[in-house]
Amino acid sequence: MEHRIGVFVCHCGTNIAGVVDVKRVAEELASYPGVAFSTDYTYMCSDPGQNLVKDAIKEHKLTGVVVSACSPTLHEATFRRAGVGADLNPYMVEIANIREQCSWVHQEDKPRATEKAIKIIKTMIEKVKQDEALEPIAVPVTKRALVVGGGVAGIQAALDIANSGHEVILVEKEASIGGHMAQLSETFPTLDCSQCILTPKMVDAAQHPRIKLMTYCEVGDVAGYVGNFKIKIKKKAAYVNRDVCTGCGLCSEKCPSKTDSEFEEGLATRKAIYTPFPQAVPNKPVLDAEHCLYMQSGKCGICAKICPVDAVDYTQKDEFVDVEVGAIVVATGYDLYPIINIGEYGGGKIKDVVTSLQFERLLSASGPTSGVVRRPSDGEIPKEVVFLTCVGSRDPEHHKAYCSKICCMYLTKHAMLYKHTVHDGQAYLFYMDVRTGGKGYEEFYQRAAEEDDVLYVRGKVSKLYEEDGKVIVWGVDTLTGQKVEIAADMVVLGLAMEPNAQALELAKKLKIQVNEWGFLSEAHPKLRPVESLAPGFYLAGAAQGPKDIPDAVAQASAAASKVASLFAEKEYHREPIIALVDEDECAGCRVCVSVCPYDAAEFDEEKKVAHIQEAICEGCGACIAACPSGSVTQKNLTDDQLFKMVTAALED
Amino acid sequence: MKIPYYPGCTLHERALDFDKASRECARALDIELEELEIWTCCGAVFPLTTDSVMDILAGVRNLAYASRLGDKVVTLCSFCYNVLKRANKVMRDDPEKREKANLFLKADTDAREGIESYLKEDYTGQVDVLHYIEMLRDVVGFDKIRERTKADLSGLKVAPYYGCMLLRPKKEMEFDDPEQPQIFEDFLEAIGCDVVDFPMKTECCGGFQIVREEDTAVACSQTVVNSASRRGADVIITTCPLCRYNLDELQKKMEKSVTGFRKIPVIYFTQLLGIALGIDEECLDFSDNYVDPRPLLAEKSLV
Amino acid sequence: MFEPRVVCFFCKWCTYAGADLAGTSRKQYPPNGVAVRVNCSGRVDPQHILWAFREGADGVLLGGCHPGDCHYQDGNYNTMRRLSLLKPMLKELGIDPDRVRLEWISAAEGDKLVSVMNEFVDEIRELGPMTVDLGEKLSGVEAPPEAKDVKIAKQSKAKAKKK
Repeated sequence: MEHRIGVFVCHCGTNIAGVVDVKRVAEELASYPGVAFSTDYTYMCSDPGQNLVKDAIKEHKLTGVVVSACSPTLHEATFRRAGVGADLNPYMVEIANIREQCSWVHQEDKPRATEKAIKIIKTMIEKVKQDEALEPIAVPVTKRALVVGGGVAGIQAALDIANSGHEVILVEKEASIGGHMAQLSETFPTLDCSQCILTPKMVDAAQHPRIKLMTYCEVGDVAGYVGNFKIKIKKKAAYVNRDVCTGCGLCSEKCPSKTDSEFEEGLATRKAIYTPFPQAVPNKPVLDAEHCLYMQSGKCGICAKICPVDAVDYTQKDEFVDVEVGAIVVATGYDLYPIINIGEYGGGKIKDVVTSLQFERLLSASGPTSGVVRRPSDGEIPKEVVFLTCVGSRDPEHHKAYCSKICCMYLTKHAMLYKHTVHDGQAYLFYMDVRTGGKGYEEFYQRAAEEDDVLYVRGKVSKLYEEDGKVIVWGVDTLTGQKVEIAADMVVLGLAMEPNAQALELAKKLKIQVNEWGFLSEAHPKLRPVESLAPGFYLAGAAQGPKDIPDAVAQASAAASKVASLFAEKEYHREPIIALVDEDECAGCRVCVSVCPYDAAEFDEEKKVAHIQEAICEGCGACIAACPSGSVTQKNLTDDQLFKMVTAALED
Repeated sequence: MKIPYYPGCTLHERALDFDKASRECARALDIELEELEIWTCCGAVFPLTTDSVMDILAGVRNLAYASRLGDKVVTLCSFCYNVLKRANKVMRDDPEKREKANLFLKADTDAREGIESYLKEDYTGQVDVLHYIEMLRDVVGFDKIRERTKADLSGLKVAPYYGCMLLRPKKEMEFDDPEQPQIFEDFLEAIGCDVVDFPMKTECCGGFQIVREEDTAVACSQTVVNSASRRGADVIITTCPLCRYNLDELQKKMEKSVTGFRKIPVIYFTQLLGIALGIDEECLDFSDNYVDPRPLLAEKSLV
Repeated sequence: MFEPRVVCFFCKWCTYAGADLAGTSRKQYPPNGVAVRVNCSGRVDPQHILWAFREGADGVLLGGCHPGDCHYQDGNYNTMRRLSLLKPMLKELGIDPDRVRLEWISAAEGDKLVSVMNEFVDEIRELGPMTVDLGEKLSGVEAPPEAKDVKIAKQSKAKAKKK
C-alpha cells in the first residue's frame, strides 16, 4: 500500500521554533519516503492549525498524520479528533514530541536539537506507516451491580447505585446487614448513636425496589469481565425457609442451646437459632448447625415444632444462584487484629483486658450490660480503666507497620463515654501520637482531655498481667521519662484494623490486587482511589484501608458514582491498543498465560493455542515480550514497528 | 545415641551441679552427651556491633569444632545458647562475614601445629544449635520422658523461669514465643508437676548487673521471686547459671530487707528432671544452693 | 568529540512522563538519545535491544516505573529479569553490558532523568563507539534485509504454507 503521510511541524510560538529550525525540518521530511505533505505552522493546536491539518488530509488524501509538537499527553486527543473531522481514523494520527523532549531540553545546541527533532519525527513516521485503522473495543454492559459486604459502606454504595436507577444485588455473609457499625455505641466526634443513624439506612436498603438483599450468602465462582460478570452466589443453608418465616422469634425464645454471641463479641450468649441482634435486617433467624442439638444429636427439634409457619427445615442444603452483573463494588470491611497475637498483653487470657469492639458493646445501651460499663470478670463497675492505642499497629517489627487511623479517635470516645457513665472513674490513655485528622476531631480530643479529665500518657505499655483481681499495667511516660505502673480494673486495647479474613480469599477470586497487608489496592492512590486496577471493580470502606465512618461512606458514594457512569453508556469503550495472538504461530506454551497480570491471556483447550480476551487486555505487552515464538503482537505497536522506529532513531 | 555437647565455662566451674545433673539425665534417657574435645569460651555476650567479625569468632570456632562430631550441638547455659545460635545464624545468612570468619579459622588452624586441623571444610552453619530442653522435646520426646518418670511429682508447684537470653531476640533465637513461651510448661506437665504460671517468668533477673549494680540485680530478682511466690510456687526452675545465682543467692539480701519474706528454692530444670527420673540425689548435688531444696523435697518424699 | 547514539525505551506512565517533566522544567541534557514510547518497560524484548545495537546504537537506556509502582502491576520486574539474562549474552557477543542501562524513573523525577541521561551519555562516550558488527556476529540468524520483522516473514510463510 502506498503511504501518504502528512507531517505538521508546530512552532509553538518560539517554544519549538526558537531552538529547532522548523522550516528545515519540514523541508527535509518532505522528501522522506512515504511523506506526501510536510509543512510548519505557528500554533498547530489552534483552530486554524487544526483546520490546516484537516484540509491537508482531504486535499492530499493523507493515509496518516504525524503532528510534531508537544507531548502526546497534551494534544494527542485533539489531533485525533481533527483527524476524525477529516474522515481519517484517529489511530492513524500520531504525535512526535519535539517540545518537552527536544526544544525545551536542548536549548544550548540548536543544530543538534534540529537533528534530533528530525529523528523523532522519523520514528513516528515509521510507526504511522504500519498503524492500522482501529476502533475502540465496545463491550456491552449489564446494568446491574453487585455489592459485596453489607456494612455501612456496602449499604451506602447499594443505595446510591439503586437511586441512580440501576439494579443492585447486595451480598452479605452474615445473617443481617449492618456490619461493624451496628455494633458501635456512639460515634465520634458528634456522639450520634450508631444504631440510630444506621438502622434507617438498613431498612432503606431492604425496602428499595431495585436492591436485592442476599444475606447469609457468599460470593462463589467469578467469571467474565467488566460489564459482563457471571457470578455464582452461595446461599448458605440457614435451615430456616426465610421466605416463609415471619420473624416472630418464638424459635429463638424456646431454643435450649446457647453459645457465644458474635455480635456481642463473646460478652453475651445467643441461641443456636438466632437473629444476630434485635434490629437485624432482615429480621429473620438462621440456625447454627454446629450448636443445634437436633442437628448434632437428633434430639430436640423444638424450633421446628413451635414454628407457626413451619419455616424450620433441618434438611436445607447450600444453594447456588447465578447472577449477571456489570460492575462489582467490594466493601468487605475489616476485622480487629486477633488479640491472641499480642502476648505481652496476655494474648486474650486476661478477662478484664477487652478489645475495642467489646468495649463498644459494654457502652451500648442495647449491649449485654445495658450501657453500664461492667468488667467481664466479676461484673463490677471499673474505677480505673486504661486505654491503649497502637496495639498491633505501627509496629513493623512484630505486627502491622501501618497506622490503623481511627484508634486514637475511638479510644478517646471510649474514655469520654466511660467518664460520662462512671463519674468518679479514672481513664488513662497511652498513646504514641494522638492523630486527630478530621473535621471536629482535634476539638473532640481537647474536650476529652480538658473537660472529661482523660489522662493522656505518651508512651507504650510493655506488659499487662493479672494480680489480685487487677490488671497491672507496666508502661512508660516518655515525656517525664518515668516508669508508670497502674493497677487497673480494666484495660481496653485499640487493636489494629486488618482486612476481613475472608476478604483476601475473595480478592484472589475476583483477581483484584491487594497490598502487602491484604488491603485492596486502588488503581491510583490520588486520582483513582475507588477503582481497582482491574476494570469493573470498585472499592469502598475499610477493605481498602483503615478508615472511619465518614470516609467509608464518602468512598462508597464515590464508588457508586463510578458505577453509575459506567452504566450511563450502552457500551463500555476500551483502547484497542491490545495484544493479539497469531493462532497459526502459537505453540501453546502458555508463557503468556503465566505472565499476564490480568488473566486476559487464556489457553484455548480446543485449539491448543493462547487467546487474548479483548475486553480484559490492558495492552501492557508483557506477553509479547515473553512469547518465545513471536506469535503475540500488539496492535499499532508491533515488533516490526518498534524495529523500524529504532532504525529511524539511529539514522544519520 | 551420641550428641555433641558444648558445656561452656560456667558449667565447668561454678555450675558443676548443672553439668553433672544434665549428663546423668541424658544417660538415663539413652543419650550420651559427647563433649567437644576442644572448646573455648563462647564469648558470653553476642556483640551489638554489626561491622565486626572478630566478636563472633569465638562462637564460630566452637561451632566449627562441633561440626566435626555431628550435625547438632547441645548446650545448657542460656548465654552460651544465645551466642552460639546467633553466631550460627550469621554464618548461615551473611556471606561476607562467613567468608571472613572462615579465613580467620584457616589462619588459626595453620598456627596450631600439632593439633589436628579441625577444619576439614568451610563452616557455613551446618550445625544445628540445640538447647537441652529442645533436645528433650525433639530428640528424646516428652512422651518418652513421661513414660520414664518414676517419682510422683504431683502436688509440687513449680514455676518455670525463662529469663531473657533463651527467648530474645525472637527472630534470631526462634526458640519460643518470647511473650507467652510454652516449652517448659510442656516439660513440667510431662514429668507430672503442677505448673505455676507467673507473669514475671520472662523478666530479667538482673544478669551481669550483679557485678557492679547489686541493688539493681536484687530489685530485678526480687520482682521475679515475689511474683512466683505470690502464685504459690514451691520451687523455681531455671536453665541459666547466672539466673540461678541471682534468684537464689540474692534471696539472702531479700530476706533481710523484706519482713515475712518467703524463701523459694531455685534449681536447674535438669535437677528436677533427675528427681523425676529417680536419679540418685548424690548425682544431682544440691549443696551449692543458698535456699536448700532438700527439706521441701523431703517433705514431698522426693529425696 | 565522539557523540554516542542512544536509543531510549521509556514506559509511558512513568519515565516518559518524567522526561516530559524535565522539559516543562527546562532542565538541559545532551540530545544524544531518542525516546521510543512503549506502554510498559515490560514490552521491551531483548531482541529490540539487540536490534538497536545492530542498527548502530552505542547505548540503550530503558526507563520504567519504580518497583511496586508499575501501572501494569509487575511489568518492570519482567524487564529487570530479562535484562539480567541479556547482559551475559551481550558479553559473549563482545558488547560491554554497561551499554545497556535500566533505570526506575517516576513521572515526578525529571531531575533523575536528566542526571541519568548525562551520566549514561558520559559513560558511553568513555566506552567509545560500538565496534561490534552484530549483523556479522549473528550471521546464523541473518538479519532481515530492510529492517524486516522476523515475525512478519514467518507469518507470511505460514500463510503461504496454508494456501
